[in-house]
Amino acid sequence: MSDDGGLALLLLGPAGGAGLYWMLYRYYRNTDKSHAFERETTVDAKPVTGAEHDRQVDEVKGTRETRIKGDNVGDYRDRVERMRNDST
Amino acid sequence: MSNSTTPPPAPPTGPGSPREVPPAPGTAANGNFPIDPSTLPPPIRDELLAADPVAIDTESDELKDGANHCPKCGATDIRQRPGTDLLICLFCRNEWHGQRVEEEFGLGEGLDALTGTVIASGARDIDDGASSLMSFKCTGCGAEVTVNTESAMTARCHWCRHVFGVNEQVSNGAVPDAVLPFHIKKDDAVARIRQFVDKRRLFALEEFKQQFTPENVVGVYLPYMIVDGRASAEIVGKGEIKTREYTQGSGDKKKTYYDADVYAVQRHVDFTVDDLPLESSGARGNHDTSANTNNIINTILPFDTRNAVKWNASYLSGYSSEKRDRDVEQLRPRLEDQLLSIARCQVEASVGRYDRGVRWERERIDVHGSRWVSMYLPVWLYSYHQPGRNGGMLHYIAVNGRTGETMGSVPVQQWKLLTAAITVGTFLEGIALWILGSM
Repeated sequence: MSDDGGLALLLLGPAGGAGLYWMLYRYYRNTDKSHAFERETTVDAKPVTGAEHDRQVDEVKGTRETRIKGDNVGDYRDRVERMRNDST
Repeated sequence: MSNSTTPPPAPPTGPGSPREVPPAPGTAANGNFPIDPSTLPPPIRDELLAADPVAIDTESDELKDGANHCPKCGATDIRQRPGTDLLICLFCRNEWHGQRVEEEFGLGEGLDALTGTVIASGARDIDDGASSLMSFKCTGCGAEVTVNTESAMTARCHWCRHVFGVNEQVSNGAVPDAVLPFHIKKDDAVARIRQFVDKRRLFALEEFKQQFTPENVVGVYLPYMIVDGRASAEIVGKGEIKTREYTQGSGDKKKTYYDADVYAVQRHVDFTVDDLPLESSGARGNHDTSANTNNIINTILPFDTRNAVKWNASYLSGYSSEKRDRDVEQLRPRLEDQLLSIARCQVEASVGRYDRGVRWERERIDVHGSRWVSMYLPVWLYSYHQPGRNGGMLHYIAVNGRTGETMGSVPVQQWKLLTAAITVGTFLEGIALWILGSM
């Protein structure tokens, strides 16, 4: 077995213990829960526009990352820079 | 980025427009105008001193004197019939249904044409002068508790259970536009809380288990702003599409690499939301989980707010309530934040072709119109105070008074939880060492 594999196996104990602690703590205290207003509110949306303006600006070669850096497509509540009305 | 951004839709103009940072509703009428209106020429003065328009007047004339009369016999001994939206007269047993505000004031309609800030009369800025309902500051814990003085001159604080009288009144009150009566009965709420806690006993704090008496659950009407809105959102970012995947090296050194095209992505969406609930109590709106468990109460949202009935204090008989202390302008940032989140959720499906994900970098929300209605919503609350640093922690178990949705925070016995985690960790480590040793 490789060194990497052996190290990963040695981390099994601490990782498993910490994972269990974190999972049970959240199950009891529910600190991660809130109202899922994105889904549970009646939203009537017109078709999303803008796809026709998408254009290629760059390319990445030989990265080892499986996702784009800073991927936040599913993280709706992660606020990014606000464009105010006076700027575009 | 600017060359690729479509021009934003024309911002709404006129009084009450969110883009003009409107003055707090009723500011001029409250006498906060920078110049004393009486020194101005009569036509201007008359204009300034005229009452602000109230878009939806939910105030009820028949309840103005503070006495809620039975429409049949005129008696005032009125209660909600448990489990229903009906009011019942305890004198003549007449039952009747409160008027639903949805139809009465047209709250479900016109979302597509919503412009400016429409504020129902009960959601106006907090002012003195609530007549039938009085707010008291509890001398025991300082919480604010609302009392219907028609049915009681004393009350028990639902937080610290201190009993106090009318002479400890604080000088303002806010009667909402509507109230959503309890449907879940107390027995049902107790059963749900018991069921919830029974699933969380093993690592629960010993004192919590010993003192656990779900029969002490309190029915509380909590204040919310129910907001309808019409908005446009613009979101700009970068997306990546994988073009190639290959591996280099061999054996242990084998590594996977990716090539990808980077796209500038932008999306625009127009949408309306119906009945978004926002906590209109500052304390309840604070969801700092390191200091409180108010997120528990937030989780049991939403309510079937379309069934809310016109305000009648009789619905509150036998229940406790909390007073609103936030005005529309103070809640606007929260509304915009939630509308942005909704917009981000709406556009997600349209960027599915970016298989390596999208990094949104800038976003904008234009709220074209919003309609605010103040409402009391029914919550069964069980609380347990865990002593500790900084005043300890108040743990809630909350049951939605309409849907029965239950959520709670059960305090944990840290040493038990740690022991369990360390035991499992040690066991796993033993297996790992055994595997390594046997190789």
